[in-house]
Amino acid sequence: MTFNDRIFGVLMIVLAVAYGWGATQFPEPFGGGAEAVGPETFPYLLAVVLTLSSLYMIVRPDPDNAWPWSRTGVELVIAVVVLVLYAMLLQPLGFIPSTLLAVGTLCWRMGAPPVKAYLTGGIAGVVVFLIFNFALDLALPLGLLDFLEAN
Amino acid sequence: METLGFLVDGFGVALQPHNLMFALMGAFLGTLIGALPGLGPANGVAILIPLAFTLGLAPETAMIMLTSVYAGAMYGGRISSILLNIPGDEPAMMTCLDGYPMAMKGKAAEALAISAVASFIGSLVATVGLILLAPLLADFALTFGPAEYFALFMLAFATLGGITGKNPMKTVVAACIGLMIATVGIDSTGTQRYTFNVLELYEGVDFIIAIVGLFAISELMFFIEDRAGGGKEKIAVNKLSLSWKDIRDILPTSLRGGVLGFVAGVLPGAGASLGSFISYTLEKRVLGSKGRFGEGDPRGVAAPEAGNNGASSGALVPMLTLGVPGSGTTAVLLALLISLNITPGPLMFTQNADIVWGVIAALLIGNFLLLLLNIPLVGIFVKLLSVPPMYLLPIVTMVAFVGIYSISNTTFDLYFMVAFGVFGYVLRKLEIPLVPIILGLLLGPEMEKNLRHALEISDGDWMVLWDSGLAIGLWVVAGLGLILPYIVGPVLRRRMKAGDAQSD
Repeated sequence: MTFNDRIFGVLMIVLAVAYGWGATQFPEPFGGGAEAVGPETFPYLLAVVLTLSSLYMIVRPDPDNAWPWSRTGVELVIAVVVLVLYAMLLQPLGFIPSTLLAVGTLCWRMGAPPVKAYLTGGIAGVVVFLIFNFALDLALPLGLLDFLEAN
Repeated sequence: METLGFLVDGFGVALQPHNLMFALMGAFLGTLIGALPGLGPANGVAILIPLAFTLGLAPETAMIMLTSVYAGAMYGGRISSILLNIPGDEPAMMTCLDGYPMAMKGKAAEALAISAVASFIGSLVATVGLILLAPLLADFALTFGPAEYFALFMLAFATLGGITGKNPMKTVVAACIGLMIATVGIDSTGTQRYTFNVLELYEGVDFIIAIVGLFAISELMFFIEDRAGGGKEKIAVNKLSLSWKDIRDILPTSLRGGVLGFVAGVLPGAGASLGSFISYTLEKRVLGSKGRFGEGDPRGVAAPEAGNNGASSGALVPMLTLGVPGSGTTAVLLALLISLNITPGPLMFTQNADIVWGVIAALLIGNFLLLLLNIPLVGIFVKLLSVPPMYLLPIVTMVAFVGIYSISNTTFDLYFMVAFGVFGYVLRKLEIPLVPIILGLLLGPEMEKNLRHALEISDGDWMVLWDSGLAIGLWVVAGLGLILPYIVGPVLRRRMKAGDAQSD
């Protein structure tokens, strides 16, 4: 089956058209558009090249690599969700608790026993926090552990 | 002679205690990065860039550290090839052929030592080559006008997939995506392009975020998909017994490998993988029936290692002199230069002579450090190799998060990085190479600037782009870079595969 390349090719052509259309909407640069190369010239060029190369992908697609549906797919989604949550919680929860949760969960989902996984996360969080705050002098957010700062 | 003076100055820079310390640290981290499966050199260097920034390192120190990481990664790649039969990075593939059989015969320590010596020689030969060739090429590159530069950038993209590349059209697609991302932001005329009035996009997309996301996050996802969290069985290391004769035996092989590797590294479209492949096959042919290649011949370990280390030093030549990298890792090093506000290219040799020569001297010193690190201390790396990926990759991901977060202390950058990671995963599934995207991000602004200059000079006449002999030559090579993979690619790939299959 050769769906992947074709679908991607179509998506890229849509992108190229949208991108090229976007370039027509640029406001005229200050001082008039009399110059040979405006802000839109290079984007036009790219839009054309991307359209042509994507057409090639549609006409001569490579064989597909299988997508991981079922369980592995779920694991992947979990991993991405964990990463997004990690980014979201880094500031409010603080570096150490959020790292404990994120690294721990990732280790666990990749096959480590839960206790060892979260232990790894906790230790990694504390060690990196200490290195950054004391050796490198860069403040990572304390978050929940804010009360420690008074000391 | 002038070169020698610069080199002495370079040693002056590289031998400063703190630079030396960072070189050692870089060499150590690099070997580690190279050794651990799933943490390729480009990925490893990329993760360390934000750290180099947040540490507030001086430009030459940052460059020295990351160049040492780069050199170290090439040394490290062999460790997992020999002990696990999985290459730590792509160029170390050929080292599996004889390295793993040698380790199976209970000669793992010898294989590691021999490959370290060969790496050292290969790297040394190529660094000397770099010292001789780089200033000449830089002088020559001073004659380039904007049109030649534009053609040169085209050449860089066209040859990036290498002549063993599978589908050059996918390289083109990838390059376009990278260049498109590079156009986001306020351009040189002050026009807002594709910012959608999002404040964070005014300055454009930070390529470091893109690089770390594309490499590090997508790697994590691939490990999860392959369920490779547990790691593989590794061979125990015996006690080392190596005589001078063993080293003398591999000397000619290593020298040849180093030279071949260097040439492969300098030439566009070849690269380290081809460097190690060529030196292995050539050695096999030179020695003929005298060698027992594929069954654990020490020279079969030495040849590819000298080749890939030679190539990695050679690859620095186009990066330093022309500002045009030929591989993923040198592209990442270029990212560092650009973010340090150093304009790469021939002018760097005059304007930032201390940095260029400091880096070159550091490469020489780093080699000695690496040899020291890799023979007596190889045990440490072997121990660390037994950390299973299920612990390692989450920690690496965390380091990537910390690095990106510390650049600007915003969560926006982290979301962006994760998005790039998912995008990178999809692209890798489709076998669309990531390196052209990164190169596009890096070179986009320069490419557009040169196009603009060329057309302004010619008053809008596009013919100016292929008006000089040099420019035509560059276009022709670029064209070949896209066409040759269709012609010789299948043959070469089959041979490399055949060589690989022999080892199993």
